[in-house]
Amino acid sequence: MMKPSRSGMLALPGAALYAALFLLPMVALGIESLRLFTPGRVGAAPDAPFTLLNYAELLEPGFRRFFFTTLRVSFVTTVVGLAIAFPLAYRIVRSFSSRWRAIAIGGLVTFIFLSAVVKTYAVELSLGSVGPVAPLLRAVGLSANNSTYIEFVVGAGLLQFIIPIAALTLIGSIQNLDPRLVEAAQSLGAPTWKSHLSTTLPLSVQGLLAAFLLSFTFAISAFVVPMILGKGRVQFLSNMIYNRFSEVANYPSGAAISLVTLVVCFATIYLVTRLVTARAQARGEG
Amino acid sequence: MSAGLSPSRPWRRRLDGMLSGISGAVVVLAFLFLLVPLGITGLMAFDSRSYLGPLPPPSFSLQWFERFLSDPYLMQGLRTSLMVSTTAVLIAAAAGVATALFLNRVSPRWSELLTAFFVSPLIVPPVVIGFALLLFLSQVGIVEGFVRLVCGHLILTIPYTIRATLASLAGVDRTLLEAASSLGANERRVFWEITFPLARTGIVAGAIFAFAISMDDVAVSMFLTDATSYTLPVALVSNMRANFDLTIAAASMLLVLFTILLIVVLDRLVGVDRVMGQGLHPA
Repeated sequence: MMKPSRSGMLALPGAALYAALFLLPMVALGIESLRLFTPGRVGAAPDAPFTLLNYAELLEPGFRRFFFTTLRVSFVTTVVGLAIAFPLAYRIVRSFSSRWRAIAIGGLVTFIFLSAVVKTYAVELSLGSVGPVAPLLRAVGLSANNSTYIEFVVGAGLLQFIIPIAALTLIGSIQNLDPRLVEAAQSLGAPTWKSHLSTTLPLSVQGLLAAFLLSFTFAISAFVVPMILGKGRVQFLSNMIYNRFSEVANYPSGAAISLVTLVVCFATIYLVTRLVTARAQARGEG
Repeated sequence: MSAGLSPSRPWRRRLDGMLSGISGAVVVLAFLFLLVPLGITGLMAFDSRSYLGPLPPPSFSLQWFERFLSDPYLMQGLRTSLMVSTTAVLIAAAAGVATALFLNRVSPRWSELLTAFFVSPLIVPPVVIGFALLLFLSQVGIVEGFVRLVCGHLILTIPYTIRATLASLAGVDRTLLEAASSLGANERRVFWEITFPLARTGIVAGAIFAFAISMDDVAVSMFLTDATSYTLPVALVSNMRANFDLTIAAASMLLVLFTILLIVVLDRLVGVDRVMGQGLHPA
């Protein structure tokens, strides 16, 4: 239909932009992570020798703590988010009238679009040291600057994003479930809870895995939420990358942390995708 | 299994009742959890006190809105945001349409592989993209803040415009294109008279979506700002860290209005369902 050269012309702007703004910067990031950093400089010298020191540094307990805080808070928050989003999605699909279902879905979509700054500020205003919860905390002898409480607030901030993302993903997969399966299980004498356990949940596993993937990768790459709500006490890998840039101008170390973050994201995507395909194959054979 | 045959046992009924009670409670609590903080922000935005006091405000005023709209630092951020996002989205939309047309033409095997490549920036954490761009742009000597921001917002938005265009092109009936070219129309005419008008709504919706993503970005922009070129979200975040006053509550309420407007427009254009499908899934 079209001469190959003309097709090539169409590819040109995209290819040029991706080369200049994505591929080359990623290569630059990889190279910088292997350069030796001299304190006091902004970034590594262009002819700095290559080293693995920037990565070796990350094995120290000080950094490991950030790494595990990011994973732990993200994982716990994602699991709590799914536990909330699943019944929410199920009720929206099955028990809401079509009018209320449309309103609920529209509301969730609006919430996803709502600025991250707004959501984060709203949580800080409500749960932070100036909010209505602070006096209650003081009454039970807790400080709003208690690090466990700060971790809880960061989790609450992440949930403002995870609940709508996970609920909308699950609404899609629950809509594809045949409600007659639950009814069939019930008519065969299984109680409601048992029919859900044997039909709804196993059939929703694909949806749950997709929701987990989206929520967990969102959480581990979160930036604004831990930066504002973490108050410097709870920091994620993203915040470390930014601090390496803004506070000490140690670009090589920031680059090494960036690559570690990237590997964590890719590993998560790989593992969950493997699980999904393994399940699909098992079902295909069974 | 045999136990399942007697549904009338009272403990089991109670368990069923509990299940529906719990899920009902979760629904109510989830909506409260999402909406109460926003409600508190809305209430505080109209606070007439000049300091941040406990809830509820004793009386209401519009002072925080006035302060926001007359704050030179934040207004400069808003202007930069609008300029950066508009520039980036216009370029991203044009490049996205060209790229999607290309992807639509190559063999399915290549198309699948290349599409995966073109949407891959979406699975890279934005902070990593911002930091990588900062390194690279410094190395090649691009130091102008506005140009840097546009570069960052371009790579942030192109994946969305490519994907939205691909989705709308999939809806264009190929037989129409073949009919037009067999009647003698050249490629250019086929595109402007058939393909583009049919795919236009989807392309525009994709661009609006990309604009929303761009206007909201903090993680990429943080690395690319300078003293005079900074975006509104970056300005709001640094205000939030410096002094926690209610100007941001007023700004938040205006951003809520902006978001609702955007959703209504997108819903009219393509329907909220499709917006959802495009926005959620990075790959």
